[in-house]
Amino acid sequence: MDRRHFLEMTGLLSGVLMLSPATLLAHREDAIRIGIIGCGDRGQGIMQMMASLKEQYAITAICDILDFRLEAAAKLAPAKTYKDYRQLLDAKDVDAVVVATSLHMHYAIAADAIRAGKSVYLEKTMTYNIPEAQELVKLCARYTGQILAVGHQYRYTPLYFKVKEMISKGYLGDVTQIDCRWDRNWNWRRPVPTGYADEQINWRMYKRYSGGLPAELLSHQMDFINWAFDTHPDEVMGTGGIDHFNDGRETYDNVQVLLRYKEKGMIGNFGATCGNAHEGYIFKIKGTKGMVSLLPDKGVFYPEEAAKKELQTVDGVSGATRLEWNTDGGISIVNEKMQDGTWYALKEFYNTVKTGTQPVSNVKTGATTAVCVHLANEAIFSHKILSWKPAYNF
Amino acid sequence: MPVSMKQFKKIIPSLLLLGVLSLSYRSAELRRFYISGRAQGTTYHITYYAADSLLTRSMIDSIFDQVDSSLSLYKPYSLVNRFNTSAEAVKMDRHMRKVVKAALETSRITGGIFDMTVFPLTNAWGFGPAGQQPLPDSAAVRNLLTCIGSDKIHIKGNWLYKTKPCVQLDPNGIAQGYAVDLVADKLEALRIHNYLVELGGELRVKGRKQPSGQKMSIGIEAPGENDFEPVMEQVIYLDKGAVTTSGNYRRYHETNGKRRSHLLDPRTGYPISNELISVTIVAPDAMTADALDNALMGMGLQHALRFIEKRPALAAHFIYHRPDGSVTDTMSSRFKRLLKP
Repeated sequence: MDRRHFLEMTGLLSGVLMLSPATLLAHREDAIRIGIIGCGDRGQGIMQMMASLKEQYAITAICDILDFRLEAAAKLAPAKTYKDYRQLLDAKDVDAVVVATSLHMHYAIAADAIRAGKSVYLEKTMTYNIPEAQELVKLCARYTGQILAVGHQYRYTPLYFKVKEMISKGYLGDVTQIDCRWDRNWNWRRPVPTGYADEQINWRMYKRYSGGLPAELLSHQMDFINWAFDTHPDEVMGTGGIDHFNDGRETYDNVQVLLRYKEKGMIGNFGATCGNAHEGYIFKIKGTKGMVSLLPDKGVFYPEEAAKKELQTVDGVSGATRLEWNTDGGISIVNEKMQDGTWYALKEFYNTVKTGTQPVSNVKTGATTAVCVHLANEAIFSHKILSWKPAYNF
Repeated sequence: MPVSMKQFKKIIPSLLLLGVLSLSYRSAELRRFYISGRAQGTTYHITYYAADSLLTRSMIDSIFDQVDSSLSLYKPYSLVNRFNTSAEAVKMDRHMRKVVKAALETSRITGGIFDMTVFPLTNAWGFGPAGQQPLPDSAAVRNLLTCIGSDKIHIKGNWLYKTKPCVQLDPNGIAQGYAVDLVADKLEALRIHNYLVELGGELRVKGRKQPSGQKMSIGIEAPGENDFEPVMEQVIYLDKGAVTTSGNYRRYHETNGKRRSHLLDPRTGYPISNELISVTIVAPDAMTADALDNALMGMGLQHALRFIEKRPALAAHFIYHRPDGSVTDTMSSRFKRLLKP
């Protein structure tokens, strides 16, 4: 049997399996039938997460242009396989799609999916550039029956939600500074299997496919600031270079951008390097009353001295387990163990699709952050200070 | 013996000198000193007012180390662990002797609601050093109850005996308060008379803040939504005494939506379940307050209030569920008086 026939056979088989009692038992009837477009690390990660959410999701179709990716993904779910996403979008047994491809394809696939009547969970960053972001917003305005959620998952994790609440309730006072880093000490490349081109695997190294470190990593933190403060930057400046891994890459391995939030009176410092791993992830929000220091799953509040006195209005406190200060003077923000952010995001995607309500991370907020990322990259490459335009207000 | 004029004249200079000394002692300004750190799996905070930093961290560490060596279930070498694994008896040190005597007395006056021999139950319900276990069934609980009761231990000289090998002690409901008292004793020995000692939410206070002369204020924490947003149910002002709180709102296990308190009733063998959410006790010393707060949690509100009102040295505050599920608080008459600065 040749490969094409094999794929068709498995497709048929999985179609049959979908009707078998065993499968019906495994998936609840009201589970959303999902097509995965892009089965790289992220796509497969989402598939594994969905496997633990059987009541919400049944993966019925998977698609990738690379054979080895498709084969690996097929082992995770008994779904029909596609090499062309347009064929997947025609499938009747797909209610919604996950788009986890390289950035330059996000817009085309998401737009086609919306037009095909599917709801979309679109990985971040939402689009490759500003015009695509604007187009997608316009398109979604015409298709109100479907949901488009953008994978900025911080918006769904209880920890980050709590921090947003702390900010809006004024626990941090006036926030003036935001420090973010997402560092590593390796080349950020994946091994390329024989028979494949570097740009197919390491698309993040190529400007025409990727927005580099700002799009892949710093967009999370930029999006959180937009959300938590209900704002966007007014000015963006940046710098960067290929400073350590001069290995033929086009996107920079060392970047720093400065976002000025004029209305809020804040400066955001967002940086990433491939040349040092000591601090790794940093996300600090600094206000007159205190600072919050965040990791993806942990957060500590460091009140300023004056605010500390406010919290300690008494000389002593008696309680079953009283307010516990860390040895470094911080207070843990949430004490229960957090799930992976994707888990919360997928749970919420299910709810929004079922109820037809707009997700917290939607096409408009996704567009705002896509503009931030695009401006950041423009600033880095052009060494110009770029300003926010009214056309970016979605 | 009458003092002759001549002798008196001889004494005058030294009396004068004494006067000058005491004057200078008085005018030596009392400064505020603050030490904090970790001990017994929690944090401590000590504030004291003195002319100089007399209490050192090594003094504090040494006190906590001694208590741990004697009474910690988390130190394999501790005396209490030796007793728990022994077949018959151990020779007690002064810490264990004091704590066991106080525990026996508390067990007597509370009708056995407080009982230091509760350890086999602590373990079986998953709140011991071994962590969570499969839940015991009613036969297992009945079986464990045969190892529990203050009548199953007795003191003879410096020795503590058990009537059967399975009898084991859990000093957790009392050792923390005892450690707070030891730190207070140390401050007294250093002639420090204005202080606040707090270990894991258990406090002992004496004197006033300097130079303001205000009483120390102590917040009674209520179950709040956030750790960074503690809810002060009440604030009391104390000249002298100890305050401890016992509650089931932070430490519990949950299965199938049912919460099990870490507070166990040694009489029934099951976790305590009544309307009380937390009990705060004011007593002359922290060991007494610590031992009583758990017992009062087990008594239920009405019985606990009667118990407190009968004893002039005690005051208490209760947070509890009304029958409709809402949360409210009440306090004993003597506790009310402490609300005034």
